[in-house]
Amino acid sequence: MSKSPDDAPTAAADAPAGTPSGATAGRSRYGSVRLAHGSGGKLSLELIQELFVAEFGNAPLAELTDAAILENRPGRLAFCTDSHTVTPTFFPGGDIGRLAVAGTVNDLAVMGATPAYLTAAFLLEEGYDMEELERVVRSMKATADEAGVAIVAGDTKVLERGKGDGLFVNTAGVGFLPDDVRMGASEIRPGDKILVNGTLGDHGIAVMSRREGLDIGVDLESDVAPLTGLLARVREVAPNVRFMRDVTRGGLAAVGNEIVLDRPWGLRIFDVAVPIHDVVEDVSEMLGIDPLLAANEGKVLLVVPPDEADAALGAMKAHPHGREAAIIGDIVKEPAGTPIVETAYGSRRILEMPIEEQLPRIC
Amino acid sequence: MPDVDAHAFDPHVYKDADVVAGLQAKIASLADEIGRPVKLMHICGTHEHEMGRFALRDLIPDTIEVLAGPGCPVCVCDNEYVNLAIQLSLRPDTIVTSFGDMLAVPGSIPLEGERRGDVRMSLLDARAEGGDVRTVYSVFDAATLAQENPDKEVVFFSVGFETTVVAVAAMLKRGVPDNLSIIEANYYTPPATNLLPTLDGFDIEGFILPGHAVTITGLRVYEHLPEQGIACAAGGFEPADVLVSIVALLEQIRDGTPRIDNPYNRLVKYDGNEKAKRELDEVFELAPIRWRGIAEIPASGYKLRPAYRRYAATDRFAGHLETLDLAGAEHPKGCRCAEVTLGQIRPDECGVFGKLCTPDAPYGPCMVSHEGTCRAWYLFGMGKEKIHVEVA
Ligand code: SF4
Ligand code: SF4
Repeated sequence: MSKSPDDAPTAAADAPAGTPSGATAGRSRYGSVRLAHGSGGKLSLELIQELFVAEFGNAPLAELTDAAILENRPGRLAFCTDSHTVTPTFFPGGDIGRLAVAGTVNDLAVMGATPAYLTAAFLLEEGYDMEELERVVRSMKATADEAGVAIVAGDTKVLERGKGDGLFVNTAGVGFLPDDVRMGASEIRPGDKILVNGTLGDHGIAVMSRREGLDIGVDLESDVAPLTGLLARVREVAPNVRFMRDVTRGGLAAVGNEIVLDRPWGLRIFDVAVPIHDVVEDVSEMLGIDPLLAANEGKVLLVVPPDEADAALGAMKAHPHGREAAIIGDIVKEPAGTPIVETAYGSRRILEMPIEEQLPRIC
Repeated sequence: MPDVDAHAFDPHVYKDADVVAGLQAKIASLADEIGRPVKLMHICGTHEHEMGRFALRDLIPDTIEVLAGPGCPVCVCDNEYVNLAIQLSLRPDTIVTSFGDMLAVPGSIPLEGERRGDVRMSLLDARAEGGDVRTVYSVFDAATLAQENPDKEVVFFSVGFETTVVAVAAMLKRGVPDNLSIIEANYYTPPATNLLPTLDGFDIEGFILPGHAVTITGLRVYEHLPEQGIACAAGGFEPADVLVSIVALLEQIRDGTPRIDNPYNRLVKYDGNEKAKRELDEVFELAPIRWRGIAEIPASGYKLRPAYRRYAATDRFAGHLETLDLAGAEHPKGCRCAEVTLGQIRPDECGVFGKLCTPDAPYGPCMVSHEGTCRAWYLFGMGKEKIHVEVA
């Protein structure tokens, strides 16, 4: 076990995505989660060894020490954590496992860091289906491979029946950030262009229509994906990207508001330039929801100096997670501190600040 | 220029920028011809929301003002029902369900340890005090919940206009679990709309009729309005739909011939949806109901008929409820929701708008609901001058 952690992600990436590396069926004598799976005793160990270690398979994890010992790299550390709960656990285009890995990886990647290591903590409700858990874990592994990260430590707790919503997953991540990367809202200047890597609202609407039991009869999938590769490509051709942020809960509206708040400049989005899937448009209309406020899990907003905007756009379009990328607006001098939307008709409004979760209208 | 005839409107072009530009020009020229300020009103929360989302007020001349009327079910729902829902939620073994927006609306029960002004208790506050309150998206969800909790009473706080009540009627007809009951806060629009022109100081000349509601009721029920000198047009929700309704109203006003136009004829029929009306009529009968901040209006509420009264929460829990004196407890101090709902003032004329009253800390119901006028004004920045952009 002398693999350097530097190799760990790459080694992990050798396994084809989605292929389980250990036995898949019957790894627990139980079909569902028991309280004892979280007790620290025999069943806990069995779950950890047979499922988590077998599936996530990498050197630091296999040691099963109290902490994973990792090699350092030059530059600064980027470090983040996120907890995940989603209903339903499996939705068109993804599941809570893919979401948990992609979410944390993207938080690191938009900072300009290269994600390297993740931890995974599971809060399981007694009675949770073991096979579902296996599917979630396999999906996490596949997503980690796609992102080039290793899941090197973890934790399991089991909650009494009725005290947990099936399954919660927490992931924390570490990435390495080169010393010369300078990005952040304070780098933004009037005249900069605003880009997104594709259609907005897919995740929010896909999950909501599944939850509402809306049979929309068309393929609408969540966009959940790790964006490491895409963002690395963009930064090669557009080295002066000013700002990147993953567009998640609260949608474009949340990010748009956040980056102009109390700043001496504002932002303008051209309504018609924002890529939106036809189905998302229709379902949103039906439910009375604005796709600009709907959640995404594989989308990023970039602010790019004007002379690098086309290159960044080209790089995104050439990547599978950026085929429908678009330049959707710009940074303006006035109105300062306020994000606005310009409609196809030349009328203007404020890009509303999301207040709470989006709910279908009453009538 | 594309065809902008209000009476021969092609339904497929309702978002098209050229069509919108054509309608905009037509409205400008009608405004010129009329040559004086005109006030119009729509009676639908979704209209207000869409007008905000597409900034449609930017596209019409200053002389043409479009106000929002009593078109938001959350805003017109009387305190009586909010109070009832709160009390029931605090009972053991009772689950109260409603739409998300309704949870944040304060009733008139004072809140212990008041937060600001004279804020009163909402269902969210009741939940914080141990009440079992759940958000649902429809009466179907409430029925499912009742099925899953046979040992509990599940109460659906049914709030809405004819569009929502239709679903409740259909559900009750089909049969629901015995442990489900509903709070009948169901409103029928025409009596309220027909009442408006009789109010003192009413100076609105035309109504954009609520597109969804009239799909059910039809337009005939609004025949009182032209008789009272009010121009009417059924309004759809796309930008061109709204503008074409304004064109229709301005034409009627210019010609001095109030009538009911139907530019939304791709969905709306003069007599409405017969099947839906029949179902409504089987389950519900019209009765007087209080419109929050307005008045009790005869025959404007849907109450369960005798055959369905076993599903009425008021009957099921009669005797278990305190009677509350609602007099004088309508709105918190300084809140002018009633005037906003009646189109007497614009949201930004309310003294607490954007200060004490914001969407994340609402003071009155108009700031709570997604269809509330104050909320839409606040979020979309309406009422200000046209936003001026200066590029780098
Ligand atoms: S019921 Fe329909 S028509 Fe009436 S206010 Fe609500 S959305 Fe508008
Ligand atoms: S600003 Fe608030 S208090 Fe004033 S009318 Fe609107 S909702 Fe009511």
